[in-house]
Amino acid sequence: MPHDGSSSVAAVWAILRKECRSEWRTRYGLNAALLFAVTTLTGVSFAVGRLPDRTDLLAALLWVVLLFAALASLAHAFVREVEGHTLTLLRLVASPTAIALGKLLFNLLFLAVLEAVTVPLFLLLMGGPPVRWGPFLLILGLGSVALAVTTTLVGAVVSQARGRGALFAAVSLPLLMVVLAAGVSGLRAQWDGNPIGAEARILLAYIAVVLGASVLLYDHLWED
Amino acid sequence: MLLFLWIAAALLGGFLWAPLVPALGESTRVLYFHIPSAWVMSVAFGWSFLHSVLYLMRRRIGHDDQAAAAAELGILFCIGAAVSGALWAKAKWGTYWNWDPRETTIFFLFLVYGAYLALRSAIEGEEKRARLSAVYSAIAFVTVPFLIFVVPRLYATLHPSPILPQAGERGSIDPPIVVCFTAMLLGFTALFFWITSLRVRLVRLERRRERSEAAA
Amino acid sequence: MSAAAVAVGTLAVEARGLEHLYTGRRGLPAVSFALEAPGVAAVTGANGSGKSTLLRLLAGLLRPTAGRALVTVAGREVPPAARRAVLGFVSPELAFYEEFSCAENLAFVAEARGLRERRTAALAALDRVGLGARAGDRVAALSSGMRQRLRLAFAVLHRPPLLLLDEPGSHLDEEGRRLVERIVEEESRAGLVVIATNETRESGLAARRIELRGRGLGHPA
Repeated sequence: MPHDGSSSVAAVWAILRKECRSEWRTRYGLNAALLFAVTTLTGVSFAVGRLPDRTDLLAALLWVVLLFAALASLAHAFVREVEGHTLTLLRLVASPTAIALGKLLFNLLFLAVLEAVTVPLFLLLMGGPPVRWGPFLLILGLGSVALAVTTTLVGAVVSQARGRGALFAAVSLPLLMVVLAAGVSGLRAQWDGNPIGAEARILLAYIAVVLGASVLLYDHLWED
Repeated sequence: MLLFLWIAAALLGGFLWAPLVPALGESTRVLYFHIPSAWVMSVAFGWSFLHSVLYLMRRRIGHDDQAAAAAELGILFCIGAAVSGALWAKAKWGTYWNWDPRETTIFFLFLVYGAYLALRSAIEGEEKRARLSAVYSAIAFVTVPFLIFVVPRLYATLHPSPILPQAGERGSIDPPIVVCFTAMLLGFTALFFWITSLRVRLVRLERRRERSEAAA
Repeated sequence: MSAAAVAVGTLAVEARGLEHLYTGRRGLPAVSFALEAPGVAAVTGANGSGKSTLLRLLAGLLRPTAGRALVTVAGREVPPAARRAVLGFVSPELAFYEEFSCAENLAFVAEARGLRERRTAALAALDRVGLGARAGDRVAALSSGMRQRLRLAFAVLHRPPLLLLDEPGSHLDEEGRRLVERIVEEESRAGLVVIATNETRESGLAARRIELRGRGLGHPA
């Protein structure tokens, strides 16, 4: 398939910038996600209090909060296009892969901003043993990439179905169990002082496999 | 008809004729149902995935029919495997469900294919439904190896390793058990393909009826 | 790729038994034709006969259920995935980003298409359709007539050799319709313009007509 490589990269970049600019203008996506995360976090903190030594709970709770905030907000990149009927416009200027990758990068950025606020707040409220920043950020980073890669593809699919909100969470969650398991195990390990090699490799492999499969599947997403 | 006789014979044989595996006691019987169920569940999902990919490559609706029918049956066998596994767990360890890694895996497979069917019911338009559910099926299938092989390695497992020993350990499993077991395995597999083909035929008839109604 | 870059007469569009039919949906029964640049062709037919579907098939937005659509440049096929670079498309359901201005929308399009000097190209296109004064206005503030002009600007922004216009005159006043005629005339000197329409004024611009006699709404098979 003859593809103008340079214009594909240009398309991905253009879409990423457009998403950022659009999000900046309306801001309701990021605001909603932050509000959701902080509220959930507050609720958890009230209920559970500080957990200075329960590393298993800490790891699980952090991922649950992030996961829920992500599921509540990452679909909207596609839903916005569907509701605004701008998909035709997009499809006329960029390939499906470029569209999906642009959205993926945006979702990653979105998650990064979300975590930059949520994670410090979590550590502040919940306590816990000192963090080994290297492994901590590695697991968090890999887990987030895995989250973004999965939810981008699922979001693109679900945005074309009815009942989008609940369906998106229901359809993404089973696939994300791997990420959750490895992410929780990894965070717990770094708090316990154990190596995180296994979890990091699992997440990396997962990312490679899902991204690889996604690139093959993106072309089939929009044919209406 | 023949199929049912076959399965009945295998079951009877398993209960009355074959001796027990020493380590497992009476609960050996569950072997004849639980493992074939789990096996067919895997076959079903593999079949569904295969036809999802074929649909994307060739765009013939027949592939989507196969994928959907196989997924529906896969879920049934999944439930069968989970329930029989739970019964066995109760007999062996006292609790029905333990979130043991294997149990967890089966549960999540159930969720994945439940999601597949939920997605299908939420999309209108035959072509769109076929195409999008095929995409989901494909991505779900690539995460399954992680669920099955990788997640259990993160946690210690209570689930027994393969019950049938390797070829090197000949003589520790009585032939009658192997016979009944294999018979159940084959019987279940045949059952799956038969019901799937019935389901596909049903879908095709419905489609033909819809087309003739639309043309009228 | 601009119309000037493609030598006159080297772009061709062909339909071979092109069809888009699904159970219970309006569609396009099989159609065949061959067109060549330069020139104008009109696709006519009753409502629901498949005019829009045909244009979407040619644009590569839809996948045919049978037959194929062929777009060739200098004798070599342009596969569906690459067609977007050589064509401009206007249709009633084409929508823009409401929160962006006209210029921002077109600048985004130019950037995604890999054009240089995006602002210049965007403003030039807006000037051409008479929206120069509204370049900084958000799309949400535009009337339906202005949005239609924006669609036309979008289509000609990258000077494509093939223009697919689905009801280009809709929502337009007399001045707007004359704008459409001007654009069609200018672009058809070197490129191919295909107009899907029921208006005789628009189909009258065409040298070639493709009449669709599909089932339409309320028409027996």
